[in-house]
Amino acid sequence: MGLLSIIRKIKRKEKEMRILMVGLDNSGKTTIVLKINGEDTSVISPTLGFNIKTITYQKYTLNIWDVGGQKTIRSYWRNYFEQTDGLVWVVDSSDLRRLDDCRYELHNLLKEERLSGASLLIFANKQDIQGALSPDEIAKVLNLEAMDNSRHWRIVGCSAYTGDGLLEGFDWLVQDVASRIYMLD
Amino acid sequence: MEEDDNLPAADSALQRKHAAMIERLSNSHQSRLARKPNSESNSTFISTSSFLSRFSESKNSIESTLSRIRQTPDPHTNPTLKSELDNVSISIADLEKLVAENSFSLPSYEVRTCLKTITDLKQLVEHVTSEVIPRKKFSFKNKSTKKITTQNDTVSEVPNVESKDSVLRVLDSPGFRGKENEVLVKEFGRGNDEEIREFVLSELKGCDVRLMGSVRALFVHKLIDCKVYVGPVFGSVLIEEVTNCVFVMASHQIRIHQAKRCDFYLRVRSRPIIEDSDGVRFAPYCLKYEGIEKDLEEANLGEETGNWSNVDDFKWLRAVQSPNWSILPENERVGTVDISS
Repeated sequence: MGLLSIIRKIKRKEKEMRILMVGLDNSGKTTIVLKINGEDTSVISPTLGFNIKTITYQKYTLNIWDVGGQKTIRSYWRNYFEQTDGLVWVVDSSDLRRLDDCRYELHNLLKEERLSGASLLIFANKQDIQGALSPDEIAKVLNLEAMDNSRHWRIVGCSAYTGDGLLEGFDWLVQDVASRIYMLD
Repeated sequence: MEEDDNLPAADSALQRKHAAMIERLSNSHQSRLARKPNSESNSTFISTSSFLSRFSESKNSIESTLSRIRQTPDPHTNPTLKSELDNVSISIADLEKLVAENSFSLPSYEVRTCLKTITDLKQLVEHVTSEVIPRKKFSFKNKSTKKITTQNDTVSEVPNVESKDSVLRVLDSPGFRGKENEVLVKEFGRGNDEEIREFVLSELKGCDVRLMGSVRALFVHKLIDCKVYVGPVFGSVLIEEVTNCVFVMASHQIRIHQAKRCDFYLRVRSRPIIEDSDGVRFAPYCLKYEGIEKDLEEANLGEETGNWSNVDDFKWLRAVQSPNWSILPENERVGTVDISS
């Protein structure tokens, strides 16, 4: 995290955080955002482009950028990297065949310098499906232990369908970002 | 801050905040002075130079630790190395914090130099880590034992075709895989307590697939010359690499990738999408089996939404109709398909 961005944040009166949601298509990014915002999740089309949601969470204002995950538009993800405080990587834990793709895309993303200071939350989504891998198994498959040890990260199992685990994940993310950015308060 | 009549209150709040900030700053200043007692008269100079000496002290200790780690004779067998490296990362993080805390009082040149140093240190740690502890090569193999034990108590009809050596193990979701010219029938959740879960259709050729009852998620991969009839999917369908197939399915979400010359008879709650596909045609859902109305109703798919024709083509982001898909002319549609056995 650049020092300039720290100072910029301190100067700003409202406590804003910028959260970027990414992951393969069909992982449930939009459903998670709508669920946590208390909106209807029964009709969601695959995201063509992106959605922005501003949510007041605890005493912070989260600007959540939910970016579509289809292969064609993954190359546009980098347009959203600038000034990201928290990164949310969403995994479809029941899509066993594409876990290789998922690992590849994640590690590709983490090489990005502009995201090097961002806290990383991994949602092992769709835990309500019987065949889904557990968060521990997902962590192994994604080789999370190999991550640079200066990175703040955590993996949380969740179900965007039932809402389980979503708050736990966001609580951690918001606290972790806050402790870095607003540590002078 | 908020409204005019609140001004005095807001003012005092502001003042309190201001006072608190001043106090914090002076506290941290005091503590800096306390750390470096041999003070001189110029205060900015003291804090800057004392900060710099502290900074270079920790920097040197980090560097010497790293070079010691590097020269450890047999790094691969030494178990303490990993924790030592972790400690180094922690001290670097502390150093970064120190810079952030002092950024107010430091000249901008020093701040930049210090940040640069920290970045270099981080890279050095990474470099040493990769040198000393080679990254474990990723493989699915050591995981498989665990999965197999859980597999025993779940009901599934997975043919054990996956060998342990295959790099990309198609894991243990129930499904039909690797069949040719067969009629494959599956009924979900009929008269037993089997949970509704995910289902996989993979590497099928010339097959007739009939899935009745509700399923939570459906993955379709590598199908050629198949006919696929599916009851309600209470979640999403993901289709990849299909050629010359007919699909009749109802679902909340449908994603179609790399499809060639396929017809889709759909009922979808949201807009179906295609990507890297051509020659695909769409028509409304037309499946019948005993009890399908109830199944559809329970999966929230009881009503025709008309979305079967609202197709988004991710390879054609323009206002005019995509050349990759079309609506199936009525006289070419199959009519109602009844798969009751």
